[in-house]
Amino acid sequence: MLSQFVIFFYPFRRDFYKILGVSRSASVKDIKKAYRKLALQLHPDRNQDDPNAQDKFADLGAAYEVLSDEEKRKQYDAYGEEGLKEGHHSSHSDIFSSFFGDFGFMFGGNRQQQDRNIPRGNDIILDLEVTLEEVYSGNFVEVVRNKPVAKEAPGKRKCNCRQEMRTTQLGPGRFQMTQEVVCDECPNIKLVNEERTLEVEIEQGVRDEMEYPFIGEGEPHIDGEPGDLRFRIKVLKHPLFERRGDDLYTNVTITLVEALVGFEMYITHLDGHKVHIVRDKITKPGARIWKKGEGLPNFDNNNIRGSLIITFDVDFPKEQLDDQQKDGMDKARSL
Amino acid sequence: MSFGINKGRDPDSGYVTCGSLVKLLNTRHNVRLHSHDVKYGSGSGQQSVTGVDSADDANSYWRIRGKPNETCQRGVPIKCGQAVRFTHMKTGRNLHTHHFSSPLSNNQEVSAFGENGEGDDLDVWTVQCSGTYWERDDAVRFKHLGTSVFLSITGEQYGHPIRGQREVHGMPSPNQHNYWKVMEGVFIQPSNEPLHHDEL
Repeated sequence: MLSQFVIFFYPFRRDFYKILGVSRSASVKDIKKAYRKLALQLHPDRNQDDPNAQDKFADLGAAYEVLSDEEKRKQYDAYGEEGLKEGHHSSHSDIFSSFFGDFGFMFGGNRQQQDRNIPRGNDIILDLEVTLEEVYSGNFVEVVRNKPVAKEAPGKRKCNCRQEMRTTQLGPGRFQMTQEVVCDECPNIKLVNEERTLEVEIEQGVRDEMEYPFIGEGEPHIDGEPGDLRFRIKVLKHPLFERRGDDLYTNVTITLVEALVGFEMYITHLDGHKVHIVRDKITKPGARIWKKGEGLPNFDNNNIRGSLIITFDVDFPKEQLDDQQKDGMDKARSL
Repeated sequence: MSFGINKGRDPDSGYVTCGSLVKLLNTRHNVRLHSHDVKYGSGSGQQSVTGVDSADDANSYWRIRGKPNETCQRGVPIKCGQAVRFTHMKTGRNLHTHHFSSPLSNNQEVSAFGENGEGDDLDVWTVQCSGTYWERDDAVRFKHLGTSVFLSITGEQYGHPIRGQREVHGMPSPNQHNYWKVMEGVFIQPSNEPLHHDEL
């Protein structure tokens, strides 16, 4: 007997965790990071051949909206999508803009090449200081952008003002050339301040001077488009670790006895985990131990890590040895 | 497109924090603190600082930082009485004042000084406000640490080539001419520490 399977389609039973590719215990930071990565990949402008692109992108926006909000996430975890009490409040374009800026959705191609004739407002560059801990683990920085936005206002204004030469005839064969300011008429514009929250990602392994642009979040231009807001990463010096590429260097001081006899210790890493060091040989001052995989994540591939290089300093006793100690050292001299 | 994600305004987001980029409006004269690559023709001959009418000039952005050699942690609200520096975004010079006369009113000249954000001890100002922290809605005063003058504008205007721009100077007494308010800007919110990775 043929079994017939009938599949029902439940429109409101989306698995938001699956859509974002995160575990059910994911932190808000994990969720933001997942959204940002997928939003670039799934944007419909980038997937013009995929008929489902709009839906996938909409699903992504809905997933982020719910899981990034503590209340909504609780409701969703308990009752599923159908159990969500309110409808969607944020449009997906608002969510997208808070991570990338006010795009006119221009992908694939330098913004400047779009139309050289449209004047652009100034760019804003903000130096964003980040700690080595943030470079190791990643983070998101929330900023509130308050900016003037050009809005239409009643009436007209003068625009495209330029100098033109005018020729006037003073008499037969006599002409005068004068310079005059000539303007066009344009719709009137006023500037109104608006505010939005932006999410800047500090990606793991990010390097000094790297920039994160937010399109259109710069200064407005009355006759054109707004400029961009760019966050320029500045990695702060760390008191214990020195960065060289993806490797981390640190110094540890051991006692003279430890240098001769060996030791075991734990070094606390940038995210709090402990690195175990065991040494059972003599350690000379300046000796180094390489711990592969304990460096910084590589920016292009977070799964690759640099090394942690520990250089040992030996602490010699500060005061002179007394006779009893000298005696003890004498006995040890048979090394 | 007006407002973004509608989050309840949490108390910290109303504060001015370290590392933020802001425009400062003089509340009495309605102009914004501004600088540009134009030097004073008198006094110290350093880069001039003025007040401008326009609200959309990127040359009016200043970054708020701590004193030299002091960490002012990103996103932490600035306390009333705290010492800060204002670094001009476009030129990397710091808001600065010293014992030179201002060109129009004979008060104390205020200039933009230094390179790449590093100048000297005369770059430091204390934020004077009445509460505990500098709130975005507050009108505050900036008192110079080295010479005790207040950052002020009294309305004198320059001619060519910076026609209409107002003179910014230091005045010894606090009055209605030395109130400033943050306007447009990029206000950095406090961050959570990166989470620990338990699985490592």
